[in-house]
Amino acid sequence: MTATVNTAVPAGTSSPAPPRARRRRTVTLGEKTIPYLLLAPAVIVMLVLLGWPAVQVVGISFRKLDLGELVRGELVWVGLDNYKAVLSDPEFWTITLRTVLFTAAVVAGTVLLGMLIALLMRHLTGAVRVILQVTLVLAWATPILATTTIFQWIFDQQYGILNKTLVKLGFSSFQGYSWFSSGTSTLTVIGILIVWQAVPFVCFTIYAGLLQAPKELYEAAAMDGATSWQSFTTVSWPAIRPLVTLATFLSVIWDFKVFAQVWAIRQGGPDGESTTLPLLLYLRGIAGRHFGVASAVAVLMILVLVVLTARYLQLLLRTREGDIS
Amino acid sequence: MKRLTKLMAGAAVIALATAGCAGSGGGDSNDSSGGDRTLTVWLMNGSAPETLTNALNKEFEGANKGVTVKYEVQEWNGIQDKLTTALASQDPPDVIELGNTQAPSFAADGVLTDLSGDVDSLGGGQWLSSLKDSGEWDGKQFAAPFYAANRVVLYRTDMFSQAGIAAPPTSRAEWLDAITKLKAKFGSDPQFQALYLPGQNWYTLLSFIYDEGGDIAKKSGTDFKATVNSPEAKAGLEFYKQLVDASGTTAPKDNDEQNPEQAGIYGQGKVAMMIALPWELGTAAKDNPDIEKNSSAFAIPSKTAGKTAPVFQGGSNLAIPVNSKNQDLAKKYLQLLLSDKYQKQLAEAGMVPGASTDLSALDAKPVSKAMAAASKDGKAAPATPKWATVEAGQNPLKDMLTAYLTGAKDLDTATNDANTALDAAFKG
Repeated sequence: MTATVNTAVPAGTSSPAPPRARRRRTVTLGEKTIPYLLLAPAVIVMLVLLGWPAVQVVGISFRKLDLGELVRGELVWVGLDNYKAVLSDPEFWTITLRTVLFTAAVVAGTVLLGMLIALLMRHLTGAVRVILQVTLVLAWATPILATTTIFQWIFDQQYGILNKTLVKLGFSSFQGYSWFSSGTSTLTVIGILIVWQAVPFVCFTIYAGLLQAPKELYEAAAMDGATSWQSFTTVSWPAIRPLVTLATFLSVIWDFKVFAQVWAIRQGGPDGESTTLPLLLYLRGIAGRHFGVASAVAVLMILVLVVLTARYLQLLLRTREGDIS
Repeated sequence: MKRLTKLMAGAAVIALATAGCAGSGGGDSNDSSGGDRTLTVWLMNGSAPETLTNALNKEFEGANKGVTVKYEVQEWNGIQDKLTTALASQDPPDVIELGNTQAPSFAADGVLTDLSGDVDSLGGGQWLSSLKDSGEWDGKQFAAPFYAANRVVLYRTDMFSQAGIAAPPTSRAEWLDAITKLKAKFGSDPQFQALYLPGQNWYTLLSFIYDEGGDIAKKSGTDFKATVNSPEAKAGLEFYKQLVDASGTTAPKDNDEQNPEQAGIYGQGKVAMMIALPWELGTAAKDNPDIEKNSSAFAIPSKTAGKTAPVFQGGSNLAIPVNSKNQDLAKKYLQLLLSDKYQKQLAEAGMVPGASTDLSALDAKPVSKAMAAASKDGKAAPATPKWATVEAGQNPLKDMLTAYLTGAKDLDTATNDANTALDAAFKG
């Protein structure tokens, strides 16, 4: 996935301009189909495990499917009713806007912080860098819900270490302060939690890109009297740009559909003010057992995600070599 | 055209990246026709004790030749999803236990067998009314009562006698008076709490609202209308705040009794009272074995002296899935389980039996005795299929409590907002 991958057709493997008729004769039907046969198992597994559920979700979104229909095995087609119900609910639009803003903030925070740490890592000496890397790996390896529980303890109203520390530092107004009394505050805590969990991956990805920038280029830049900002924009940035784009794209997908942390912290409360689209999906589908409506929400989520990542998809489809820059 | 193809390809990429798993659950079929038959029974972890079910299954197999009871204990965690897939399969369990707040939603979805004709043979005359209501939908009975439990005030007998409180309080005034006395005696310890009461213990709030003569919803036919902004409900909420303020509890106002688990805090020995289910004392005793002999319980006091406040009744119902192939056997099994003999064993295990009015077995322990005293006047959550959504999803009562107790909203705004949210949930 880096800029150095060379997929150009290798030259010189065949003699120049062989007679067309002769060549066609040598390619048998078997030879033609072999590549497809070799691809087939992977394609079939992908279609069965990923394609079929996706098709099912779209199909279910046009059906009325509550527990009763599920148990009786009934097929009740309702056309666009599920979509009408979802789209006519003003709450859906509030939640969509909230989810988009939340995703943007979390992705920006993750990528920026990940990049800064990666740049820092390049300047660190051996032992310190290893300590930092081990720390990042540990943060990354901690199970999501374990981290979430620790964050709940940190921000606990009465027993949380954050409030206690703030009070010790002289901010006595934080005695018994509730971090979860408003949606914005709750989402901020959740955002910090997600950034904390996502930074290691982004950081390592970008650091890998930085390692590819030859040392000589930095030396040359330094000799030419470039400031550190100039050496970043002219040497580091071109090396990491494709990876930053990739990390941003993946982060958008992950953060847009993050569920566990948001649900575990406050179940989308208070007053539903920290409810995001994946939570709405859960509330409609699992808690409310309206699987048809939930599927409609799922399909709409995919559409929103397509819009959000349109630019990247455009690049992905335009560049055949997978050379994203 | 090309652009559209690209867009669709893009949509497919994302769909593949995000697709969850959906579809109907299958199940291995097991035909019951001919010779030997198997009756599958799902009861929940912690409901009927093993001695009871062993004896029950043995007796049932003895009375019905060629029948094997496949008895499986299920976990509460995730049971709603498990039941959903199990009921949709070709070979569902024949007898299931449902939480009484889940029962209405399963009944209304038409996935349970109508038991209206069997009420008498299942001991209907002695049914606990709150659990009967949970199993009823649209005038038909889809689930039978199994057992119930309700909250009591667990208290430290040693602390009460040291503070000079002669008898457990029997009215709200005496309760507040006891808090004052306890604080006067132990208040010098900053960690001491006369009453541990987190902000979102909505079960307790319901008790206070019932005591004022109110309720959280009114039923008309199969429709429910929220009534948490009624004067009675407001009075209940005000008393909740009065208790929180008077006791100076340091429990979080923005969380419930499970987070952090209140039994653990009671177990640390710095709490004189907590409003809890009887068996939470056992949980507390795991950390602190001495606490059990120094603890007792009294029923939640009423505002009327000498009475106990009506309680929120949690519990379980029993039902037969509509797809069950052994309906006849399943009904016989329910008859035996709901007979006096096994209901008495349930009471001995510390639960309020759902199909027997004989509560004498509960008098053996003071904690169960307090529960039995209050259980006669119990109510369940509104018997609407939507209530399961409220509990599984976002409970407006919890938001209301936190907003009012922290001062984020005044009484009128908090109750009106909760009322609107509940009404929306009843419709959704």
